[in-house]
Amino acid sequence: MVRGGEINIGTCLLINGNPHIVVEREFVSPGKGSAFARVKAKNLKSGNVITQTIKTADFVEDAQVDLVDCQYQYSDGENFMFMNNENYEQFGVPISLHEERKPYLKEGETYTLVMWEGEPIDIKIPYKMVFTVVESENYVRGDTVSGATKPVVTETGLVVRVPLFIKQGEKILVNTETNDYVERVNE
Amino acid sequence: MDIRMMEIRSRLLTITREFFLSRGYLETDTPALAPSLIPESCLEVFATEYVHPIEGRTPLYLIPSPEIWMKKIIAETGRSVFQVCKSWRNAESRSRIHSPEFTMLEYYGLGLSSRDNIHLTEELFSALKTELSPSQALPPFRIMTMKEAWAEFARADLDALQSAEAMREACRQRDLLVSPATSWEDAFNIIFLSLVEPNLPQDRPLVLNEYPAGIECLAKDIPGTMYKERWELYVSGIEIANCFTEMANPSAVRAYFTSQSMKKKDALVPHNVDAEYADIFEHFPPCSGVAVGFDRLLMVLAGKKDIADVQYFPFAGMGNADSRRKSLQNLNFPQ
Repeated sequence: MVRGGEINIGTCLLINGNPHIVVEREFVSPGKGSAFARVKAKNLKSGNVITQTIKTADFVEDAQVDLVDCQYQYSDGENFMFMNNENYEQFGVPISLHEERKPYLKEGETYTLVMWEGEPIDIKIPYKMVFTVVESENYVRGDTVSGATKPVVTETGLVVRVPLFIKQGEKILVNTETNDYVERVNE
Repeated sequence: MDIRMMEIRSRLLTITREFFLSRGYLETDTPALAPSLIPESCLEVFATEYVHPIEGRTPLYLIPSPEIWMKKIIAETGRSVFQVCKSWRNAESRSRIHSPEFTMLEYYGLGLSSRDNIHLTEELFSALKTELSPSQALPPFRIMTMKEAWAEFARADLDALQSAEAMREACRQRDLLVSPATSWEDAFNIIFLSLVEPNLPQDRPLVLNEYPAGIECLAKDIPGTMYKERWELYVSGIEIANCFTEMANPSAVRAYFTSQSMKKKDALVPHNVDAEYADIFEHFPPCSGVAVGFDRLLMVLAGKKDIADVQYFPFAGMGNADSRRKSLQNLNFPQ
C-alpha cells in the first residue's frame, strides 16, 4: 500500500486490478476540504490515461513491481526488443504503449525495466544520457536572431538545442527530463 | 519579482484600499499572532510561543486568516470592514499556486448576502484591471451552481447523493477509488476534483455558487435545501476567493466547533481553541464576507503563472535555495 501523500510521478498503482504508472501528480486542497493528490495514471496494459483523486492521508494499493536491468537491442517495428542481463532471455515491449521512450533508446545500452507479474510495463530512462549528434546545420556567423543555440538531431532522433560550437559527430550529455543540453562529452 | 510587477502590486494594493474606503468600509489591522484559534480541520497552522522572562511561556499561533479578529470587530462596532494582511498555512505542499505565507484580502459587508458580494467582487476586478489582464480574468463573472456543475461535468444529480453510501457508489460507477470508510465529504471531493473542477469553463471568471452543507463551514444554510450560501471564485482554473453569507446562529457555530474539533484530533499542529468565540454570534449583524488570496488575484490579473512571480521574495522554506537566489538576482537593484 502507498499513502496518497507519497505518490509521485513514476509510482505504480494497482487500479481496478490493472497496473498504472503515475504520469502527473498535483496536490490540491479544495476550499474547506482535506488535502488530496490528483494524479493522472497510465494503464500499462491499454495505454489509457485516467484521473484519480486520493486523499493524502489515505492508502491505496500499489503494484508490486520488480526492477530488472536489460539491454536494448533493436526495434522490430512493433516491439522494442530487450535482453535480460541476468538470464539473457529476450522479450519485446510494445512500441504503441511506450512510443515516447523511443528517442531515448540506444542499441546496446542497458535500461532498468519495470516488471509486473513477469511482464515488462515500463522502461526507465536515465536522468542524463550521452548521445551522438548526427545532423547539425552549420551556423552562420553573425546569426544572433536565434540566440546562441541551434537544433541538432541525435542518433535516436531526439532534437536538442545546443551551443553553436557543437559539430556533427560530437557527443553531448542531455537531461532526458527536459531535453536540455548539459555539456559536450570528450572521449 | 521584477520591478514592473512590484509597481503593479503596489498600485493594486492602493486601488484595493481606495475601493473599500470609498464605500465606507473600515480598514482594520489586527494581530498576526493569536493566543487561540477556531478549529478548522481543513488547515494546519504555524505555532510559536511568547517567552516572558519571569512568567514563562505562552503558546501563540500565526493566523491562517484574519477572520477571527475581524468578526469580533464586526460584532462590537457593527461596521463593514476590510483588511489586507499576511496569513500563514502550514503543511501544504508548495506549488505554483501555494505559498505557506501569503497575503489575504478579506472584506465583510454589513447587510449584504453572498449574492451581493458577487457584484461587489466584479466591481473590484474592474477597478483592478491592468494592461496585462487577460480577458479570462475580467468581469462579467459566469455564475454556475454546484448542482449545475455536477450535472454537466459529472453527469450526476447532486440532490440524489445525500448519503455517504450513495456518494461512494457514484465514485465506483465512475471508476474512482474509494474505500467503504470514505466519508461523504471526501467522496464528494473525489468526484469534484477528478471530474468537475478540471472541466470548469475558464473563458471568464467563474463563481461556483451554493456549496453543499455536507462541507462544514460558517456559511448560512439555504432553508429547505442541502446547500449553503457560499461561493468560490475560479479564475483560469485557480481558486481565488471564498464567500459566505455569514452564519449568525450561535448554536450552529458551537455545533460546527464541536464537529471540527473532533475532526482535528489528529492535527499535526494542535492549537488552543477560543472557547468563548461563539458568544460573539449572540448579537451578530447579518453580513457577508469574502476572503481573497491576494497573491493569486495578482497572478491572474497580471497574467502570471507562478505565485513566486508576484511575491517580493518567494517563501523561504527548506529546499528553496535556488529560487531564493533567483529572486535576489531578479531584483536588479542599481549597484
